[in-house]
Amino acid sequence: MENANLILCAVTAAALDICALVLIFAAYREKSTAKKRWARISSNMELVEPGATYPLGCDEVLIGRHASADIRIPDLSVSRYHAMMTVSDGVWTIKDMGSRSGVYVNGVLVKEAKLRENDIINLGSRRLIFRRRRDKHEK
Amino acid sequence: MKSNPFAYVISGLFVLLAHCAMLANILYNGNYEQIGDVWSLAAAVLGLDLAWAILMPFFRQHTHTVDFILILILNMSLIFQSCFGGVHLSVKHMITCIAALIASRIGFLVCRDHNWIARQKKLIWIGIGLVMIVILLFTGSRSMWIDMGSFTIQPSELLKPLLVMACATSVAEQQKKHKLLWFNVVWENLILLGITAAICLLQWWCRDLGSIPTFAGIYAAGFFMRICYPKAKFSKKTLIGAGIAVLVIAGIGIKLAPAYVRDRLFVDIWSDKTGNGYQQSQALIAIADGGWFGKGPGKGFLHNVFAYESDIVFSTISEEWGLLFALMMIFILLLMLAVPLINPPRSYYHGTLAAGVCAAFTVQMALNIFGSCNMIPFTGVTIPFISMGGTSMVTSGLMAGMLIASQSPSFGKLPAKKKRPSARPAVRKGAGA
Repeated sequence: MENANLILCAVTAAALDICALVLIFAAYREKSTAKKRWARISSNMELVEPGATYPLGCDEVLIGRHASADIRIPDLSVSRYHAMMTVSDGVWTIKDMGSRSGVYVNGVLVKEAKLRENDIINLGSRRLIFRRRRDKHEK
Repeated sequence: MKSNPFAYVISGLFVLLAHCAMLANILYNGNYEQIGDVWSLAAAVLGLDLAWAILMPFFRQHTHTVDFILILILNMSLIFQSCFGGVHLSVKHMITCIAALIASRIGFLVCRDHNWIARQKKLIWIGIGLVMIVILLFTGSRSMWIDMGSFTIQPSELLKPLLVMACATSVAEQQKKHKLLWFNVVWENLILLGITAAICLLQWWCRDLGSIPTFAGIYAAGFFMRICYPKAKFSKKTLIGAGIAVLVIAGIGIKLAPAYVRDRLFVDIWSDKTGNGYQQSQALIAIADGGWFGKGPGKGFLHNVFAYESDIVFSTISEEWGLLFALMMIFILLLMLAVPLINPPRSYYHGTLAAGVCAAFTVQMALNIFGSCNMIPFTGVTIPFISMGGTSMVTSGLMAGMLIASQSPSFGKLPAKKKRPSARPAVRKGAGA
């Protein structure tokens, strides 16, 4: 009888263990769903310059030369905290953070501007293209 | 719910299975007078499981793991609390569990949209102020409870979710610096520091010293998240200064602490078994008595000790269900807090929200478990969702709702899905003729 009780206790603990494991798997499944949803929220956009692609992974993306910037551009013509990109209602906006050389969108100096696909952003001497993300297998 | 139906159905089934296994353990191992007690408990637990599962598809969110963990832990708590000292359904705890579930929905709806909540920032501060005034006016200087006749309320608990929200909404202000004497300061950082200091002083005045580390933990989590915010520019000097200030304040706090608190800091529980060390010594004996698999639900003796269902609940569960099960319960709680690590929030606001909730829950669990195991001084802090207590359950539910909000945030209207071009080659009618 004592053994039967022990077995029952062990089975109960095991059921809880398995349940925890299943919930961890469910959380990982949600990760991929959240990634797809974020792609939709951010309109699946990215910043590109020759030789580098920068994903836009959260709703506030800081661009600058400083090590803490989300998109770090190691170029002296770019300020340490140059510009901030934010997304709302699926529309990305770029805002000058008080940089020395300013933010140019399609050649026009702006303090704040809404971005559209294939806009060209100039930060100092660097030229970035705001474009829709391309899958790896796409050519 | 539509995105991962298979994962959610399986999760729901396993939650149900875990509860069924616990109920079977009570049926064969438990201490009950009538079999009807077990059936009423089973009906309550499984009914709550099924009701939540039926309601879940109507929740406007795209992730549900935290919801499943919440119902798993709440029903585990209902089973534990219904078994202490003999199996009988604890209707009071069941009502507080339902209140916690409702509070989680409120927490989610309030915190999901950071643009909206940022506009309500001043209301949060006013809310904190109002709760503090209520504490000052109604609880008295040596109490933390307001007696409402048939039940009591602990208003200081409500300050926890409000402080988490205040920390999260202030993150975005890090770029607005102002010159104050020789320093560049962010006004909201100073306001937040002032609020936290005022809350801690109020807790001191109420003699609820156990809650001070929880508030300090929430503030510390918010502080570190502000360091991570773009352009926050926290220097090493600021951080070292903050660390020294914390140590100095802690030292002064211990020096000025009331005599009973200092006694608890240095008490030898085994030489003072009938005095200051009574609860802790009984709690440790109960853990040892329970062993890995426990004495059986309702067969313990710790229910004769004061605060068995709240302050030393970890030991009561260890005694009746075994240390293995008590540790599993803590693991499930930690799993809830780990979900934002698996699926990281996409905004600094939701990140700070999740960090604040994790800090509050972790500090509370640590104080309760380590306190009852005599590893740190004993405090009257509850384990979220497990300990009995209406206010604690509701505030824990609100904070769980914040975790859900960090997983299913709202970023305004979603752009319409673009239709993919058809893979079939267009064929003009009559082309083959």
